[in-house]
Amino acid sequence: MTVAEVTMESVERRVKLFNRICAGVLIAFAILWILPLAWALDTALKPNGETTNTTWVIHNPTLDAFVRTLRDTDILRWFGASMIISSITAIGTIIVASLAAFALSRMRFRYRNVVFWCVLAGIMIPGQVLIVPWFREFDSLHLLNTYWAVSLPQIPTAIAVFIFKQFFDGLPRELEEVARVDGASFWRVYRRIIMPLARPAVAAVAIFTFVQSWNDLLWPLLVLSNPEIMTVPVGLATVQGSFGIRYADTMASAVLGAIPLVAVFLLFQRHIVEGIAGTGLKG
Amino acid sequence: MTPLSRRTLLRGALGAAAGLGLAGCSAPVISGLSTGHEKAGSLDYWNLFGGGDGVRMTQMLDTFRAANPQISLSAVTLAWGNPYYTKLALATLGDKPPDVAISHLTRMKTLVGSDLLEELHLDDLARYGITPDKISATAWQAGLVDGKAYAVPLDTHPFVMFYNTDICQQAGLLDPAGKLIPWDSPEKFTDAMQKAKGITKAYGGVVSINGDTSTPWRIFQSLYSQLGGETLADDGRKVVIDDAKATQVLTFLQGITAGGLFPANIDYQGAVATFANGQAGFYFQGEWEISTFQTAKMPFSMTLFPNLYGGAKYAVQADSHTLVIPKQPNVDAARLDRSLLLIKSMLDQSKTWAEGGHVPTWLPFRDSAEYQALTPQSNYAAAADGAVYDPPGWYSGSGSNFEIVTGSAIATVLGGQQSPADALAQMRDQLTNLATTASPI
Amino acid sequence: MSTTETPVRPRAGAPTPPPKQKRPEHHGLPAAGFLAPFLLLYLLFVIGPALYGLLMSFFDTSLVRPGLGSFAGLGNYAEALQSADFWSSLWHTVWFTILTTPPLIVVALLLALLADRVKRGRWFFRLAFFAPYILPSAVVALIWIFIYTPGLGLLETGLGKIGITSPNWLGDPNWAMPSLAITTLWWTLGFNFVLYLAGLQEIPRDLYEASAMDGATPWQQVRAITIPMLGRTTTLVAVLQVIASLKVFDQMYLMTSGGPNFGTRSILELVYDEGFTNFRTGYAAALSMLFFIVVLAVSAVWFALVRRQEKEV
Repeated sequence: MTVAEVTMESVERRVKLFNRICAGVLIAFAILWILPLAWALDTALKPNGETTNTTWVIHNPTLDAFVRTLRDTDILRWFGASMIISSITAIGTIIVASLAAFALSRMRFRYRNVVFWCVLAGIMIPGQVLIVPWFREFDSLHLLNTYWAVSLPQIPTAIAVFIFKQFFDGLPRELEEVARVDGASFWRVYRRIIMPLARPAVAAVAIFTFVQSWNDLLWPLLVLSNPEIMTVPVGLATVQGSFGIRYADTMASAVLGAIPLVAVFLLFQRHIVEGIAGTGLKG
Repeated sequence: MTPLSRRTLLRGALGAAAGLGLAGCSAPVISGLSTGHEKAGSLDYWNLFGGGDGVRMTQMLDTFRAANPQISLSAVTLAWGNPYYTKLALATLGDKPPDVAISHLTRMKTLVGSDLLEELHLDDLARYGITPDKISATAWQAGLVDGKAYAVPLDTHPFVMFYNTDICQQAGLLDPAGKLIPWDSPEKFTDAMQKAKGITKAYGGVVSINGDTSTPWRIFQSLYSQLGGETLADDGRKVVIDDAKATQVLTFLQGITAGGLFPANIDYQGAVATFANGQAGFYFQGEWEISTFQTAKMPFSMTLFPNLYGGAKYAVQADSHTLVIPKQPNVDAARLDRSLLLIKSMLDQSKTWAEGGHVPTWLPFRDSAEYQALTPQSNYAAAADGAVYDPPGWYSGSGSNFEIVTGSAIATVLGGQQSPADALAQMRDQLTNLATTASPI
Repeated sequence: MSTTETPVRPRAGAPTPPPKQKRPEHHGLPAAGFLAPFLLLYLLFVIGPALYGLLMSFFDTSLVRPGLGSFAGLGNYAEALQSADFWSSLWHTVWFTILTTPPLIVVALLLALLADRVKRGRWFFRLAFFAPYILPSAVVALIWIFIYTPGLGLLETGLGKIGITSPNWLGDPNWAMPSLAITTLWWTLGFNFVLYLAGLQEIPRDLYEASAMDGATPWQQVRAITIPMLGRTTTLVAVLQVIASLKVFDQMYLMTSGGPNFGTRSILELVYDEGFTNFRTGYAAALSMLFFIVVLAVSAVWFALVRRQEKEV
């Protein structure tokens, strides 16, 4: 073998060893990261008496904690509430934001700049700043303790408009040109041409809005006081049940609370990851 | 997976999820999307009882359910303290309050001032056999606002003293009948603690300090009010702490931990464990911990918190749990009837509740032989008459900012982190801040 | 055709727009129709409340009393700026940001670098690190409160096995905030991890190959190539992290109730306590405005940073 080949070989071996070390460290971290969820599941499968022994071994595995949680708490109702609210918010946001983005991207009108910058300004105002006036507003409208009160304030999201507008700006104009020349209305162009092409943007906005809405705590906590209509996060945060020191039950409710979104993640992994990466690269 | 089958799977999963979610909740869906729908025959009850109290309350509610199958009672337990009262206020403002709720007597005043409670008319109460003469006078009077009633007291829960009968026997602190010889001076107190420490070889007594603001406040307030001291006046708008008396009490408290009689670095659960394990002969807390020690099957009894300064007039920190009716969005006589039925049922089950250590305010039970026979609960029944409630103020009451401010200052003295003078200054400063803030109610 | 304010980045393969030949049309009416839903909701639920909140901050508005209450002028702001509670919550929020941001950047980058080298099983690592991010804070809180429980928590027992005694994680004033920071690290690392992973994959491989030819060690490669090329991603991650940390509420509310003795209370939790527990909505509105100013300031810094970086590219 030539000197060059020998050097290449030892470099390759060094790189392989290094890669193996990297993999080892990575796996160690990954296991560390999985531990808390695994521990919660492990505890949820124990009878309550066993939970005070801090060990992974389960002597009498049982699903009782899950049964009790499903039967004695309102968690199924909370699932329903979260489902409805998040769906309304996601659908509402997509419709409202894409309509606005279409106007900003494809139409000419006198105050377009002004409108655009007004919308942009909205990104600067986080919802958390508005909880006090929101409460007064919905109180006076007698809409507290309704799903609408949770959903409506989340729908006009400037970022969603932005995402759609960026996407629309990148679409070719020829298709609409032809349609417009043929006398198609804007609505037709929007519905038949642009939106079908916008599936990636719709998917990204849908998923992000859905997840963010599901996980929201502060505002729903203020609005929803009736345990029957609470969302999953609010319910878990508020209602103690008569379990206080029943750790298996508490962990069971945590696991149940996690399942819907973990399922969403598993089903939509690719979209979620692409969505994040996309926002990141666009800056 | 081919794109087609994945899409089908997605659709199927979403459909199933939606179906599952909506399955048990058609009524809440309607009530979530609109306002003001209530099921006929339903009753919503909120409380803040966890642990032993929670178990007992559940028992009492089940008895109610068995006796009233036509009423569908839904009981919800929320976290004790500010979170509970915040949620109760928000629910009432949001027109979806519970029908009946527990409230500490000291917090109830703020709720009344905020216009969040229904007035309880005496003729309505009388229809269910609830009359003022059947309720402990101290508690009933303390709950009136401008002569009107807004709450039905369920119990008084004073600060008491637990003692290990074995250890006290060996230390020679019991009389021939086996009851604790009372002490009437601080010196006798420290003497007894010293003797107990000699037996346990660890501590004489224990009280919760770390991460707990209520307990340090309670032990301070008990001694301070025995001296006749007050903290707030004019509905919380003025701070009237008597420096001399407060310093006297704080110095005393500093001494018991500094002298090694009490542990200085211990939290709520730790204090419970220390007493249960026999490492301390005495434990100071509200009476509700009785269930813990009964379950631990240890030799103990309970009595009044010692009257070290008070002389003739006994005083001890206490509060009462009361049953209130939050302001309802609609007038509904049937709902009111169901609510009063629940309240009466709770009073009728005073025995179960008293077994949890609380002093009943329902006189038909309190004055009965049954209660007298209930020991050690009946040992400290007199505490209810000497009950000193937290001073009125919009920021005051059990678990309120008032207790957090005072309790954390007192805890630093017990924990040996601050001198009585500094802690007192801290307390006065922070209370003055609260007192000078414009009241929102 | 239209002239857009933001530069349109043409997608790869998209044809360039046709040259301006048609006379410009004005689509005022249909545009209004398309914009109406958003603008209406925007007015009702963003602009309107923002202005109302500003108005409220000048009054002693109460949660339980109708109307605006008595006029307080700048009284609420004065009280806030002189209040120990305000400054300490601000400090707690900043301290939380300091505790979480560096680890969330450095550890995420480290793990992404490692994952980048590993060819197979990337889906497993993505799942392991990102799954927590998707969970609601309430679930995270329940699990970690249990892990932190004195006496039988997993952390205490685990550390005990290797001879380390644990403090009372959530109850000790010195450890409460670090405990919340650790939980937050576990919860939100996945997002930064994915961002970095995507950024790493954008870096052209030939840069690495070339440097390997020159005998560069992996560490040198990282320092000389990877980190500089991740500059924009890092800026994005850092700013998103800082702004999100400023808005922290859930962890404090759920795990320590702002304690012990308000030692972990964040600024948003102070707004919640003052407005909804103490019923002082006017004061809480003033606190919200001050909080908003802080967020604006940080966002402005971001804007400036991004602008500068764009100019450099």
